[in-house]
Amino acid sequence: MTPLAVAAILLGLVAGSTTIGLVWRSTTGRIRGVAHVDERIRVTDLSADAVAGSGATLLQFSTEFCSPCRTTRSLLGSLAAELPGITHVDIDVTARPDLADRFNLLQSPTTFILDATGTVRSRIGGAPRAGDLRAELGRILEAAA
Amino acid sequence: MTSQPPPASNPSPVATPGTRGIDPRGPRFSAGITAVLLLVVIGLDLGGGSTAGGTLLERAGQPAAILFSAITVLFAWGFFAGVTRHPYGWLFRTLVRPRLDAPSHLEDPRPPRFSQGVGLAVTLVGLLLHLVGVPYALEVFAGAAFLAAFLNAMFDFCVGCQLYLVFVRVGIIRPRADSRA
Repeated sequence: MTPLAVAAILLGLVAGSTTIGLVWRSTTGRIRGVAHVDERIRVTDLSADAVAGSGATLLQFSTEFCSPCRTTRSLLGSLAAELPGITHVDIDVTARPDLADRFNLLQSPTTFILDATGTVRSRIGGAPRAGDLRAELGRILEAAA
Repeated sequence: MTSQPPPASNPSPVATPGTRGIDPRGPRFSAGITAVLLLVVIGLDLGGGSTAGGTLLERAGQPAAILFSAITVLFAWGFFAGVTRHPYGWLFRTLVRPRLDAPSHLEDPRPPRFSQGVGLAVTLVGLLLHLVGVPYALEVFAGAAFLAAFLNAMFDFCVGCQLYLVFVRVGIIRPRADSRA
């Protein structure tokens, strides 16, 4: 293979990887609405010391091998502290593959926004974006009022 | 585990009290070196023509295979000894870290260590396939490892976040039974 062809392949590899990275960055942390879920999640069943919010619950699934889980925990914890009626529950699923199967978790962190009845209203894969999350919580609280 | 509202004076995420956190830029620096070396492996292999021919010793002695073996050993080092005892970690602390501002927060060393384990598995399989004579094994496996290292370095992509739960669910990893709630 000529040096020029090798250089072209290496450049293509870098360009392709950059494209994948840009797509990943633009999709991670996006809020996706969940329609038609009959199941209601009682967070107290998942963790003994969990508290469901009277308005909404931010249910976070984390693993040990996940740096963004830590920043997400901090973001969701401070939102719960700031907004009335919102609580944050963080479940480490490292040793709970049953939960990963039950909720079809593919990455960590994954965050569910539960409404007052425990119904999953939204789902976020990756570290959530603070501004989008506030807007979504506002919509859910408004719809319930 | 339920998180209680954090005190307002401590808004930045830090490593769990009692554990030693690492500068989050260290693993990304290491991933950058790894990505460049993997690109060199692919370049050497493509430039060197047919790679799967010859005897086992000839295949093992190719420059691309030697460099790829070294990368595999470095992944093993990071996985078994931990990223803080890795040569790249030392390089970061002595050459790079003193030129940077203090990190905004510290991170858990377990996620990058998991990534090192994934890197080790991928490069080890690629190396073995190359040694038994599978064509393009080096290119394909070095390419896969390059993608992960490049995304980690450039985009702060977290390999453990994307792969751990998938591995557990398909049964590649068995979670520790003793910590089951």
